[in-house]
This record gives sequence, structure tokens and C-alpha cells, in this order.
Amino acid sequence: MRHLVRPAQYVALCFYIVFLGFPLLWLISASLKSSGELNSLTVSLIPQDVEWGNYSAALERQGLVRSAWNSAIVALVSTALVLLIALPGAYVLARLKGLVRGMGVGWILVSQVFPVILIILPLFLILRTIGLTDSLVGLTLVHTTYTLPFALWMLQGYVSSIPIELEEAGSMDGASRLTVLRQIVFPLLMPGVVATAMFSFVSSWNEFFFALVLLQSPENYTLPITLKMFIGGEGKVALGPLAAGAVLAAIPSIVFFSIMQKRLTGGLLSGAVKG
Amino acid sequence: MKTRGASIAACLTIGTLFLTACGSGGDSDAGGDSGPITLKFQSLSDQPAAIAATESIVSDWNEANPDVQVEIVPAGWDGIYDKLITQFNGGAAPDIIHYEAASIVPFAADGYLADLSEYMSDEFRADVPEGILNAVTVDDKVIAYPTELQSYMVFANKTLLDAAGVAIPTGETMTWDEMRAIAQATTKDGTYGLGWGLKSPTAAYMSFAPGFGGTYFEGSGADATLSIGEGEMAVPNLVDAMAFEDRSILPVTLSQTGSETLATFYAGQVAMTIQGSFQAANIATDAPEGFDWIVLPPLEGSEGAQQAANPQTLSVNIDSAHVEESAEFIEFFTQTDNLAALNEADALIPATTSAQEALAAKLGTENGWDVILSSGQHLVSAPYLFVDAYAQWKDTVATPAYQRFLAQEIDADGVATELTTGWEEITK
Repeated sequence: MRHLVRPAQYVALCFYIVFLGFPLLWLISASLKSSGELNSLTVSLIPQDVEWGNYSAALERQGLVRSAWNSAIVALVSTALVLLIALPGAYVLARLKGLVRGMGVGWILVSQVFPVILIILPLFLILRTIGLTDSLVGLTLVHTTYTLPFALWMLQGYVSSIPIELEEAGSMDGASRLTVLRQIVFPLLMPGVVATAMFSFVSSWNEFFFALVLLQSPENYTLPITLKMFIGGEGKVALGPLAAGAVLAAIPSIVFFSIMQKRLTGGLLSGAVKG
Repeated sequence: MKTRGASIAACLTIGTLFLTACGSGGDSDAGGDSGPITLKFQSLSDQPAAIAATESIVSDWNEANPDVQVEIVPAGWDGIYDKLITQFNGGAAPDIIHYEAASIVPFAADGYLADLSEYMSDEFRADVPEGILNAVTVDDKVIAYPTELQSYMVFANKTLLDAAGVAIPTGETMTWDEMRAIAQATTKDGTYGLGWGLKSPTAAYMSFAPGFGGTYFEGSGADATLSIGEGEMAVPNLVDAMAFEDRSILPVTLSQTGSETLATFYAGQVAMTIQGSFQAANIATDAPEGFDWIVLPPLEGSEGAQQAANPQTLSVNIDSAHVEESAEFIEFFTQTDNLAALNEADALIPATTSAQEALAAKLGTENGWDVILSSGQHLVSAPYLFVDAYAQWKDTVATPAYQRFLAQEIDADGVATELTTGWEEITK
């Protein structure tokens, strides 16, 4: 009976991979189908005739490359800012007790309560006052602010999972507070930092509503805005170019995840213990 | 050390990229006092051909008017309502706004749009059917120029109609009874007479209601009242009869969108399908080779072939510093040749009679354009355009009630009751 366990695990894993990967495969398939085939009753993962024109249409039509560049810049910078602020903040939340921690946690939870539609108008007016509407700097600040509370919450869980005794041992060996943080805490925290960075990057990369409202000039549009423009009025959808655009849009995320994947696994496990 | 060096390099690279990217932003507003005026035109054109047509019109204008330059700001239909609310409240709305009557009227009611009555030329006013002009008139003020329209048309598989021995209607209009009879005649051997994507049936039912004298609403704004009578229930009852008595409607299509239903049309599972007129362009592109299709005459009810229209519009922001110039641009944009070119690109019906005629002369009978354009003369203002709580009633009351009727969970009286009580609850 035991010899059947491993094959069964592999079979289950295969099903799981197919389950996870099928939407992406279907997307790639749709991006290679003609409009006629997409609007027929024929259901097939393999396109009858490969239609590469969807990719050229996606690239030519809406400034996809420029939008991808804007998205990448905003996502990378907001991720860097989130980490810069969240790291010390999370450490304080995790290690200090008392009023500061209580207020911090309360702020994090309260900030998650308000729906986007409620805050967009005051946010727009504030950004307009300081001249940051229709600006990637403004959008980056908004993404940073919006992601920060959850990133703090996430990171403080990782910090809490690091035994305080390790820091105490470092101090007893004569290490300064800064050395303890740099040599002991930060390396142990790295998986959490990576996981938080990925969360922050993906949140910004996919964010639609703030970008829709704040950005006015096409040269500043981010990828979600550009992709939405493939969906027209009167129910008209350019399915092929939209699918092609979505495939192209997924590539930077896939590359980013591939680079970070090894560290992310560690991060997820670490968070799972003490999240 | 290597890692630290890489981190520093990465930070510097990101910082440089960020500053580079941000440097390209900035306000592209008008120059100094002596420079040309720049008008921002937020366009929702989404089809490549329509985008090109819009750019061509704007380019012609810019060439002829060096002192008043127009800059296109492309935007998408999705989320545009929220974007406009923020733009208007934040004082950042563009000068010229492309939208649709049903959605732009609330902005006019809130005082965000300029009164274009004094700028609209007599020629244009005379060229627009009265019903369409009414759709963009709020409190006797013209708040937008209508540009593009769609009507609901019956597309038919000619091969299946011929095989069933059906006489294809060729008159100016076709009665609903004629359409029902054709559907009955072509329902056989696994083929259904009609496929109608009624996943969200309210828009279609309300559009056809004027043909039976149905108005749904009386009055406007917050004082509007709803009444459901024979005129309003005529089409829902007819669909019910065709679906469950005649069994001439392919059942699955009742829960599909119009676009999804087209697949069954191409596959020969249905002989006819009711679609927005713009689908003619998609059918011409996507139908299998050799697929012989036609557009049947506009459907006529007991009171005529009227359909409620919700035209696409061009409006001017009341806070624009250049209302007059913006109105002049719109006047140019809606000239006959320009509207004809734009509507051809979008496969829609021009709002002016002259542009309809120009398009008809150019395209003839190609892809049923002659029949589709003729339906433009039957379009009238939709009463719901000026009703405050319409959008909420449509989404939370009407569509669920009609869906339950299509699923035979409630009968016709039940629908009427749900529609009226739902309206009373929303407006009490």
C-alpha cells in the first residue's frame, strides 16, 4: 500500500498543476486564435490557425510597451518604498509592547476598512493641491500608502517568528543593536522581505482604480488601464488582442516571480508558522 | 560585498528609471496668453478604425485652426463614470467629453455641463431627428451633441430561411408576428428559429417598448413615476411565448450575452438572432466562409417600429475656459462627412439624417447597412434617460425580475408586481 502513496501524490500534483496552469494555457491559446474561431462553438486548446496578428495588434494599438514600462517603474519604486518604511515599522510593531503597538495595529486595521471609492475623491483633491495628479510620482505614493498597512502586518508576523533570544544572545556577545539587526535579524527576515516585496509588486502591478482616476494622459497610463481599453462600449471586446496583451503583460510578473521564487518559498513557510 | 553592490546598483537604477519616467509627465495645457488654445478631448473610441477616424477629424481641425488646437485624451468605457465623477469634483475634467446620453444626463442635472443651445447651428438642429435631440435636452438646454446610435436588428441565416420555405420580408418594417412565424417555421431538426442573448434583458425590453406604446416612466428626475402595462409587457410576454409555447428560442441563449449568442448563429443552431446593429461588422468578419446572412427589416409593434435610443454624445465641461471654442470643435466634428466616417468605422448609425444618407449612398446594401440605417429613422428618446433612480432600479429590480420571468420562476403578473414594488421601495 505504501508504494502507491508516492505515485498518488504525483498524480494529485499533476492535477493541481493543470488546475492552476489551465487559465494561463487558455489565455495563450486565445491569444493565438482568430476572431472567427474565438466566436465559434468549437472548443479547443490548440488554435486551428495560429493568428500572430493579435500580438502585433496588441502592441500597435494602445501603447502597450509604454504602459508596461510605466507599470514596472511604479511597481518597483512603490515596492522599494514600502519595504523601506515597513521594515523598521514592522520591527517596532513586533518587538515593542504597549500603546505604540496598540495604536499601530489599530491604524493598520482601520485603514483596511475604507473602500477605495470612498477615499478616491479626497485623495484626488489632495494630490491635485500638491500637483501630483496625472503623475507617476503621485500614483507611486498612492500605491505605497495603500499597500503599506498590509505589508506592515505581514512583516511584523515574520519579525515575531524570530526568537527574541537570538537578539539577546547577540547582545550578550557584545554586538551593538545595529549589528544585531544587520547580522542576525535581517538575514533571518529575508524570506519575509521577499514575500512582502512580491505582494507589494503584484498589488501595484495589477492596480486599476487609482490609476484610472488619477492618470489623465495616455503617456502615463499603466498596464491595467491600457488593457481595459480593449473592452469597448456596446459590449465590444477585442478578445484576441486583449488575450495577447494580457499574455505580454504577465511576462514581467512571471520573470519577477521566477527570480524571487526560491526565496519566496522560504518566506511563505516562515510566515506559515507564525503568521 | 557582491550582494551589497548589486543592491546599491539596483536602487540607483530604479531611482534613475523613476525620475526618467516621471520626467515625461506634465501638464500639456495651453501655452501663454499669446499661444494657441489647447482643448482636451476625452475620447472613448475603442475600435482601431474609429480611433483612426477620430484622429483624422481632429487632425483636420488642428490644421484649419492653428489658434485652437485639440488634443485627444483616450480613455476606456470601463470605469469612465467613476473617473468623470472624480474629474468633475476635482476640477480636472477635460474640455470636451465623449460619453452616452443615459450616463451623461445625470452630470448635466448636477450642473457640470455647458448649455450648448446657443452654439448649436440651425443646420445641425434640423438634421437631427427630434427624438434624438430630445435625448440630449435637459430642462430645455442642449447638453450634448448626439453622434452615434445603435438599434436592435434581426440578423438571419438566409440558407436556413430558404430551406424552411420562408418568404423573406422585404418591406420597410417587419411585424413581431411575422418574426415569430418565421421562427416557428425554421424551428426543426435541432435548429431553433431564434437566438436572443437576454442575460441582461432590461435594455432590450425597454428599447422595444415604444413600438408597443410602452413608456415605463412618466415625469423626470426624482418625480418620475413607473407604470407597467400592456405596452411595457408586450415584448417580455412575446419572448415567454416563443421560448415556452412555441419553443422556437434556443433556451441557452436566454442566459447569454448578445456576443455569446453569435456563436450559435454561426454554427447554424439558430436561424435568426436579435443583436445590436453594430454586430453587422463582427458578423462580416467572424462568420464562417460561405455563411449567407442578411439583416431583416426593423421590428414593428402595434404602435410602430420605434426603438428607444441612447446616443453617444459629445459635451462640454461647464468649467472649461473655452466653452465656445469647444462647441465650435464639436460642430465641426459632427459635420456630415465626419459623422459618416466615424459611424462607418464603429459600425453604428449616425445621429444626423444627412450622415445616414451619406453612409447609405456610400455603402449601399453591403452587410445590411441599408436596412440598419433605415432603422435610424425610428429611434426616439428613451424616457428612462431623465429618471434619477433608473440605473439603480434597472440593476437591482428590473434585471433580476426579468431573469426570474425568463427562468419561469414568476409569471407576467409577478414581474409587473416586482417591477412596481421595487420602484416604490427605491423611491420612497
